[in-house]
Amino acid sequence: MKELIKHARELLENGEVAAVIGYRQVSAKRTKPVIITDPEETSALVFNEYCLNNLAVYLTKARIKLLCKKNDKVLKLAITAKPCDVHSIVALIQENQIDRDTIHIISFNCHGVAKDFGFDFNGDNLASKCITCETHKPLYYDALFGEVKETPQASDTALARIKEIESMPHNERFEFFKSEFDKCIKCYACRAVCPLCYCQRCITDKTIPCWIETSSHQRGNFAWNVIRAFHLSGRCTGCGECDRACPADIPLSLINRKMSMEAKNLFSFVSGRSLETPTLVGSYNEKDNNELFM
Amino acid sequence: MKIGVFICHCGENISSTVDCPRVADVCRTYTGVEYSVDYKYMCSDPGQNLIKDAIHKYNLDAIVVGSCSPHMHERTFRNAAVSAGINPFMVEIANLREHCSWVHDNIEAATRKAIELMRMAIEKVKRDKPLTKIKVPITKRVLVIGGGIAGIQAALDTANAGYEVVLVEKEPSIGGHMSQLSETFPTLDCSQCILTPRMVEVHQHPKIKLMTYSEVERVEGFIGNFKVTIKKKARHINEDKCSGCGMCITKCPIKKKAYNSFEEDLAFRPAVYVPFPQAIPNIPVIDETVCTYYKTGKCGMCVKVCDREAIDFGQKDTIHVADVGAIIVATGFKLYNIDKKSADSKYKGYGEYGYGKYRDVIDGLQFERIASASGPTSGEIKRPSDGRVPKKIAFIQCVGSRDDSKGISYCSKICCMYTAKQAMLYRHKVHDGEAYIFYMDIRAGGKMYEEFVRRAIEEDKVKYIRGRVSRIYEEDGKYIVKGEDTLAGMPVEIDADMVVLATAMIPQDGAESLARTIGIPYDKYGFFNEAHPKLRPVESTTAGVFLAGACQSPKDIPESVSMASAAASKAIILFANDTLEREPVVAKVNEDICAGCFYCMKVCPFGAVEVKDVKDINGIVYKEVAYINQGVCQGCGTCTATCLSKSIELAGFNNEEIFAEIAAL
Repeated sequence: MKELIKHARELLENGEVAAVIGYRQVSAKRTKPVIITDPEETSALVFNEYCLNNLAVYLTKARIKLLCKKNDKVLKLAITAKPCDVHSIVALIQENQIDRDTIHIISFNCHGVAKDFGFDFNGDNLASKCITCETHKPLYYDALFGEVKETPQASDTALARIKEIESMPHNERFEFFKSEFDKCIKCYACRAVCPLCYCQRCITDKTIPCWIETSSHQRGNFAWNVIRAFHLSGRCTGCGECDRACPADIPLSLINRKMSMEAKNLFSFVSGRSLETPTLVGSYNEKDNNELFM
Repeated sequence: MKIGVFICHCGENISSTVDCPRVADVCRTYTGVEYSVDYKYMCSDPGQNLIKDAIHKYNLDAIVVGSCSPHMHERTFRNAAVSAGINPFMVEIANLREHCSWVHDNIEAATRKAIELMRMAIEKVKRDKPLTKIKVPITKRVLVIGGGIAGIQAALDTANAGYEVVLVEKEPSIGGHMSQLSETFPTLDCSQCILTPRMVEVHQHPKIKLMTYSEVERVEGFIGNFKVTIKKKARHINEDKCSGCGMCITKCPIKKKAYNSFEEDLAFRPAVYVPFPQAIPNIPVIDETVCTYYKTGKCGMCVKVCDREAIDFGQKDTIHVADVGAIIVATGFKLYNIDKKSADSKYKGYGEYGYGKYRDVIDGLQFERIASASGPTSGEIKRPSDGRVPKKIAFIQCVGSRDDSKGISYCSKICCMYTAKQAMLYRHKVHDGEAYIFYMDIRAGGKMYEEFVRRAIEEDKVKYIRGRVSRIYEEDGKYIVKGEDTLAGMPVEIDADMVVLATAMIPQDGAESLARTIGIPYDKYGFFNEAHPKLRPVESTTAGVFLAGACQSPKDIPESVSMASAAASKAIILFANDTLEREPVVAKVNEDICAGCFYCMKVCPFGAVEVKDVKDINGIVYKEVAYINQGVCQGCGTCTATCLSKSIELAGFNNEEIFAEIAAL
């Protein structure tokens, strides 16, 4: 922690970065995002098993980008990111939303986070994404802290749930999603926390014509949730923030994970893992699986 | 808005399964429809007059025609609308033929579907906006890629029309395959004798800029305004100084290290060479891979003998940029590699024919060189292995072609003719020789072609055997050709002294990557696709890019030449105007909401999407958005569908219009 604070302080004092996006502790098992521009405030920075938020979502915000503009110069932005959050940063770079040269990634050797604030950090309360996580060390970083620790063991219940839903007959599966989507109150928290939902105007806000009914009617609920899933197919890096943000407990990350599994099975593509690999949407390879064409 | 509805019977094509009067009656009840009528042939003159009169009489703002596919008569109906004073884009076509009557047989159901289709089109036309054609300036210069006979013809025709031409050829000389041929069917005139005057004409033409030993690296832009990057490979000879005396070639000590590819590897060439004596330009090239100087830093014999000081070992590849308005692609063909170790991994070889193993089993082009007066044997038919005159030659047709098991299903078209010619040439030169031809069918469609084949059979006594050859092996200095005579129904064995394989024509190396560079589609074999197989055979689907010769499909010389002239005339037609009118069905980005993810750029098959900086009031760039070049956009709609925030609208097919169509269903 001392190293993190020292590093962040130096960055700000040397004028290398305009701001540091990080976490601060608010109670024993809870942190909050914080954007620090004053070197004195860096002492609040923490990194632990309760740093749940994916801070990459802030990188595309216009107000944050404004912070970096000092006179005519564009300063860098430092971000503390878990290795999985780095995937989101990679995806954002690939989608031209941020420039790798303007981002200073402070990352950590990660052994998992809790599934939500207030839970003890152990195998039973491990975040779903951490169970199958393969990147305990970030793929891209400018500074790396934290010691390597063992991730608690836990069983992959989410995968079991996906298999269960997959095995449902067609109508049963439809009923399942209908009941899940019926809970949607269109608060768009899923959209707000998603680093890849950076559009200035979301398709759901388009009114002429109105592709997605905005009332909490079944039609609109289906349209929104299905389009959200499709728009993230091959793009979602699996940070799971939508799931955590959803007040109605719709299992959004199950849908996202299923779509990611499809992308991996069909095209051997996992989003956000490499700056060199072209994005799934918009790239074409003669060896691509063409069975989807009728 | 006042809408006119016109239902066409298309003779009986539509009316036999769709109750056209009923469709017209139902349409009349829809809001906004002022007039609705059905007629036997709406595309006929009386039919069009019906539309025009109705527009005048009922003061119509828009019309919907229920007829055949818009591919057929959209233009007809739009023009009719224009002549009656309506914007052409206020015309919608509902496809009641291909989408309805032709694919259904239940009259009641088909009629209901026709009504639905009409209803959709009526809802769309209500939201249609008048569009005006886009005007783009034209650079009146042509790029011709490939300096074979097709490229030469296209370049000469365009240049003679008064336009500048940049002719790019990847080999050190123009001439292509035709320069390698001995004599040409069906007239038996010497190939080089008729070709070289054309080559000289190209060289001397003031409007033609010849770039040999060069390759197209990049193509940007769009019809009328292409920007082409060309890499000119280093010849290591200063072209301005070289007089073409050939002393360097004569004195080069490297004699037997490199095969002469012009002679189809039947001879060697020095490290510094011109492909053939009549090469245009007559400037040698130094082959770095065999030249002693590049290996050891020593030798320099060519430098010593060159009194013009033209040798330049340090010469580097140079990059040139040309602005052109049209591109004619004439990259030609190559022969399919027959041997098992084929470089074309796509196709299987013919190990059973022993090509590459037996030196006297050769392909058609090698025979051309042997038969050519300028070839390695000075035109005498001799075996490559021992120089003996073969007394019996077996020619095998369709090696590769028409053989699904080897990967090529098409007919290479020229082999029947050139095999007959080669057998004939052989019989003319070796009077006591016997020529056998194994064939599947004789395909001799063409002026004087069938007569030519009959002449080979009847006058020159060439023996045709209908059947495939299963195997060729060597025995006592002879090549035993085992096959079947399917007409006699018995196996045949020929003990030939030499075997000539008429191998399939396949696209030139790098055709597919060039197609991707230019942005034109190609088929599974790598032949470039024409825009329409019958009505637009020399145009690619990319506007301003035309095709000539065997790069599109196997072709003989007259076909290549006529296609080249046609492609040239297409370019000339394009240049007849100073500006270009483009259909206004193009995509446009809403810059306010574009998130700048540039997925549109990645998916655009035409390279129409560019990055545009959006500046604030102080001129400072605050975001990057996509910008669609209207001159390049073909209106395919891929970007529109890909855009996650729906920031792209395709004029004539915008979100609102499509939504209304779906909602009407």
